[in-house]
Amino acid sequence: MKFRGYFVEDIPRRKFLQMSLKGGVALAATPSLMAQLLSFTGSEKAGAKLALDPQILSNTIKRALEKGGEYAEVYVENRISRNILMEESKFKSGVFALSQGAGIRVISGDKTGYAYTDDITEEKLMNAAEVASFVARGAKATGPVELKKAKRKSFITVKLPLDRMADERRLEVMKRANQAALDYDPKIKMASISYYDEIRGRTIANSEGLLVNDELPLLFFIVQTLGVGKNTRHMGRERLSRHSGFEMFDEVSPEEVARTCARESIAMLEAKDAPAGIMDVVMQNGWGGVLVHEAVGHPLEGDGIARKTGVFTGKMGKKVASEVFTMVDDGTLPNFRGTTNFDDEGTQMKRNVLIKDGVLVKYMTDILSAKQLKMERTGNGRRESFRYIPIPRMTNTFIQEGKDKPEDILASTKKGLYVQSLSGGSVNPITGMFNFTCREAYLIEDGKKTVPVKGATLIGSCQDVIANVDAVGDDLAFGPGICGKGQAAEVSAGQPTVRIRGINVGGSRARR
Amino acid sequence: MDYKGLSEQLVKKCLKLGADEAEVYIESGRNLSIRVRKGEVETVQEAGAHGVGFRVFVQKRMAFSSCNDFSDKALKASIESAVRFAKNTTPDENNVLPDDKGITKVGKLYDPQISQTPMEKKIELAKKVEKLAMKDSRITKSSGASYSEGEEEIFLANSNGLSKNSKISSCSYGVYVVAEKGEQKSSGGEYCSRRFFADLKPPEEIAEKAAKEAYEMLDPQMVETQKAAVIFDPDVARAVLGGILAAINGERVLQGRSFLAKKMNQKIGSELITIIDDGTRPKGLGSKPFDGEGVPTQKRIIVDRGILKTFMYNTVVAKRAGVKSTGNASRRGFTSLPGIGAHNFYMDAGKSSREEIIKKTEKGLLLKGVTGYGIAPVSGNFSGGASGFWVENGKIAFPARGLTIAGSAFEMLNNIDMVGDDLDLARSFTAPTFRIKLMQIGGK
Repeated sequence: MKFRGYFVEDIPRRKFLQMSLKGGVALAATPSLMAQLLSFTGSEKAGAKLALDPQILSNTIKRALEKGGEYAEVYVENRISRNILMEESKFKSGVFALSQGAGIRVISGDKTGYAYTDDITEEKLMNAAEVASFVARGAKATGPVELKKAKRKSFITVKLPLDRMADERRLEVMKRANQAALDYDPKIKMASISYYDEIRGRTIANSEGLLVNDELPLLFFIVQTLGVGKNTRHMGRERLSRHSGFEMFDEVSPEEVARTCARESIAMLEAKDAPAGIMDVVMQNGWGGVLVHEAVGHPLEGDGIARKTGVFTGKMGKKVASEVFTMVDDGTLPNFRGTTNFDDEGTQMKRNVLIKDGVLVKYMTDILSAKQLKMERTGNGRRESFRYIPIPRMTNTFIQEGKDKPEDILASTKKGLYVQSLSGGSVNPITGMFNFTCREAYLIEDGKKTVPVKGATLIGSCQDVIANVDAVGDDLAFGPGICGKGQAAEVSAGQPTVRIRGINVGGSRARR
Repeated sequence: MDYKGLSEQLVKKCLKLGADEAEVYIESGRNLSIRVRKGEVETVQEAGAHGVGFRVFVQKRMAFSSCNDFSDKALKASIESAVRFAKNTTPDENNVLPDDKGITKVGKLYDPQISQTPMEKKIELAKKVEKLAMKDSRITKSSGASYSEGEEEIFLANSNGLSKNSKISSCSYGVYVVAEKGEQKSSGGEYCSRRFFADLKPPEEIAEKAAKEAYEMLDPQMVETQKAAVIFDPDVARAVLGGILAAINGERVLQGRSFLAKKMNQKIGSELITIIDDGTRPKGLGSKPFDGEGVPTQKRIIVDRGILKTFMYNTVVAKRAGVKSTGNASRRGFTSLPGIGAHNFYMDAGKSSREEIIKKTEKGLLLKGVTGYGIAPVSGNFSGGASGFWVENGKIAFPARGLTIAGSAFEMLNNIDMVGDDLDLARSFTAPTFRIKLMQIGGK
């Protein structure tokens, strides 16, 4: 898997892919995930609102289609972001970034041309439109259109706007988290608190006459704690993220995030080597949903289906999973990390049921794959920034609640692995082979969680895993993450407690 | 635009706006990427961009800002935001900027031919590699071929009087295909990255390797859970080297977040392993005349025949540790603060041929693919998904997929008992084929 692979929250791999593809050159034009994460600005007002004349947008679209082609689009973005890092009880750095630019896309048949500029002037937009129109040479042209401002429902509410928060408030939540982590246990030797917020303004206009714009706030709070035991160390991690105002910290306190993290660091100090071999796995509710995000979600994205390479190609309407398994991608969950009002092509967000009672009922599409597949637009066309072409991506993806009680699921599992949380993983969308690394896991012996185990990997094929889900709990919960597919996207993944029969677990100890 | 002059001016502006010390990092670049599938162009993406990052110290408190709008107003606002925020960070006497005005002479990092080569030729190259990879009848689908290139110029100036610039280029292309047999699918891909266009490998070679990777893995078998030898192909070197690289990061070491923190000058692995970081290799994909904050790059031996010899530092972390910067400040573009990273990081070649390593393996896995995070830098634990070929009695017996491998770093490094002579330094992060004599393999 050197060329392509999708993964969540796996920074080294993403970096690897970028280095592989770009020969180690970190281009200004393609900031990496970390750069994205660590970006910022203080000039809150500098260009937060784009006063772009719709006439300029319409002229740009006209120019983009001059050589031919059936679709053109202008995406204008403005992002103000701030990242503060506290480590070893010190405020180590504050990083601010102001980023703006516009991307022009032309679609002609199955071809896409794309160019962007970080200078939003009419002249530069026209130049970019020229470059993007390269692919459409000789194709039939479309006539000019009149742009009409479209209305989109909002799923994001803000009580305490980020741009009105004093920096002291931000530093205070960080200090509180730091203190709570260190107070949790003397074995917590270090805490690292990362605070990120941004406001992203978007204006999208296209040759269908669409014109939309909005502004999205985002908060991402990450606590990591180092637990040190006799001969062991464990770095715990807990994250909190929403598209919302600062009120997020009133709803979930920074102390709570820190204690959850510290608990993991301490619990895993006692971990024994994980067993190796095929066993039953119970996955606790929450971020564990990343397993289906990877293993099932990516293969259901419309681009792979349109290329006929994905594992679920030709499976529409067929039974692909056990009948207790229903999977949903819902970009409308209020203020969730994967939620937006409309996707990065301007399509209204929706709740999309992908697999219903084990039957495949929908693929996730962007404008291009919807056209190629002759299917509806599902609101999954997303991009990391103006530097990227939109592609089908997930939003908030989860396994629907079932009827089982989580405690019964555990009690009825005689032997196996209880996965409390996963770090993340990846999938090859063609073969459907996935892998996940466990953050916190325990042995199950006689229906009870017993010894913590370290270094466990889960691997398998997505078709098998969803066919082997035999119990689904009633305790749906979510966790925030970063999904990478050549570009980063904010997502949530969720699930109730579930049991999967017979997963290959990789540990360093032979099974008893 | 006169970026060099601008970078020097902006340092002065930072000082005028309240910084005691300042660094300006300007990056200007251009990139092109082309994707073809089934002989047709699928996407063409092209853009040029620039941006600037400001690192300021106010009474030894540090803050950073960046922007990609070069208007006077935006630049001023960006500097002011950094200076303003600096009052909130904790003062640290280690917050210093480099003052070494030297530049390491590194040859051939920029190829003017890349931008001179017509777009049609690049499209043709991608089309050709795809067509060649599809030639084998076992290959049923193309997942696309691509070509990409980039050029980047860095201008770095700071208040210690440093003013340096460098220019680099790179280009790469590759293909990704699928082999099918009944319900089975197997994918394979290969690419080549170089600083110079003329150095790219011929499409025949790339296509053959991609196709082979896909069809060779058809009809895989499972093996029993067991302990056996694992032979690491150069393609999976990162699974081992990545964790070592993270664990020798000087800041992690100071924070106790590294399994190598207390191992300086101690044996951490077999005497067959020597690990090197080289920022000076001509045409190297990881080579640079100076690091992410202007310190001249070096060639350093990290692990010498099994003994850990050095950690990696940037200027601030080096001061804290009481040592000199090793020239390993890394930067992920103008939006990022300098971190710590490698240049061309590799395990040095050994004496065995790859054939000999396989021949001398009675039972084990020739590892071609590994998934997961590699060695965890904090604990040294290793666990991942594995695929490759099962070796029996010195011969490749069958493809194996859906396995896992696991172990701990010290166990793995000490158990390396054969190192190949097939090191390819055209890659920036690599190793020759090597064998770990015993690892836990998870199967049925």
